[in-house]
Amino acid sequence: MGYHSLEAVKRVLRTGMGHCQGRGCLKLVARLIQEETGIPAAEQKMPFPRPPLKPLPLGLLGSHKDEA
Amino acid sequence: MKRSADVVVVGAGVIGAATGYYLARSGLKVLVLERDFPCAGSTGRCIGGIRAQFTHDLTIRVMIESVRLFRGLGEELGEDVEWYSGGYLFLAFDEKRKQAFLDAIAIQKKYGLDVRFVAPDECEKIAPGLDPTGLLGGAYCPTDGQANPFKVTYGYLEGIKRLGGGLVVGCEVKQVNKQGDRVVSVTDAKGDEYACDMLLNAAGCWADEVGALAEVKVPVKADRHESLVTEAVERVFDPMLVDYRPDGCYFVQNSGTGHFVGCYTPVPLVPGHSVDATDEFITEMPRRMVRLVPKLAGVKVLRQWAGSYEMSPDGNPICGDTPLRGFYVSSGMSGHGFMFAPALGKLMAEQMVKGRASIPLDEFFLSRSFGKAEAMK
Repeated sequence: MGYHSLEAVKRVLRTGMGHCQGRGCLKLVARLIQEETGIPAAEQKMPFPRPPLKPLPLGLLGSHKDEA
Repeated sequence: MKRSADVVVVGAGVIGAATGYYLARSGLKVLVLERDFPCAGSTGRCIGGIRAQFTHDLTIRVMIESVRLFRGLGEELGEDVEWYSGGYLFLAFDEKRKQAFLDAIAIQKKYGLDVRFVAPDECEKIAPGLDPTGLLGGAYCPTDGQANPFKVTYGYLEGIKRLGGGLVVGCEVKQVNKQGDRVVSVTDAKGDEYACDMLLNAAGCWADEVGALAEVKVPVKADRHESLVTEAVERVFDPMLVDYRPDGCYFVQNSGTGHFVGCYTPVPLVPGHSVDATDEFITEMPRRMVRLVPKLAGVKVLRQWAGSYEMSPDGNPICGDTPLRGFYVSSGMSGHGFMFAPALGKLMAEQMVKGRASIPLDEFFLSRSFGKAEAMK
């Protein structure tokens, strides 16, 4: 198929792009990739982590200039 | 190991996938070679906007054709590509910008585009919640829209496979092999050789490096653009909002999921291949979004990321033949590769097969002199 990694699968199925940002689901996805490809889940590279650590409101993130 | 195809495409982004698909549809055997994985470059970092509101005549014609193809793409590829005709609303906050939009509309209307300048109160109707403070109106095209870049690329690649072609991942082209004045094959980092009659450089912001393998200079430069996505919320409005002020931004609500996605163009530009995310963006972008649409203040940001625009010297694509026979290029999309892909894929396939596209691409040829820049970047 050509989709053998968490990053590649993410770009087809959006796994890891929901509210948990992959913190909950990616280990399960890695296990599914292991079943399909034989690549051990522990050896699969996790997608590059991106801020924020938890969802934060636009109004809060954008309030820096109001305080200045 | 040696494999062969009629056409080898370097790069499984949306340009390589789309062009490869239309080449395969014309009966050629196509192999797409990808260094990393499909959508690993700019395509996978794109927010999915599609518009025909440009100022360059050829770009407008190509984009009208692209919108037409996007409408039928789900059926063509057997894949829901999440096309949604939500429109684009470009906002004018000063007289100069308003006049520029009026001038652009006059050009766009020549080609039959459904576009008009709308007053601030109509802007508010089109985008409920928009703060009209200082607004002079907007350029609105309801037939512009959005689709899902991942699904479009995936659909085209699967289409290539159905038509007898293939995708090879983990394949980094290291050498372009010539015989006389024409290309005959490429060799990858593992030493595998792929023979071909035609070779397409669709390597996005690395098209300069792939060009250099054949001693063909492709003037593209990467610069970094950042994006963010929010949680999914109930529908707020349909169009992509574009604010061209120096501290402006552009964002749209994803039709399928309800997430907002948006970007801005940094001043000054940030050249290079870095896709690091910055603190500045994650605070500035929300401020700009909330200033435009205050009721979004409570919507939560899920993630920020970055990607590269592959900039050409004039902001228009670089498509067509190169000085090396059999070697073609389609790159330099300057931030618009996703929206161009269906039409430029189809037209480039015609260019490669017939030597002439049904909408002639001369003004995008590598051999052109790079002049006036696109004003609606």
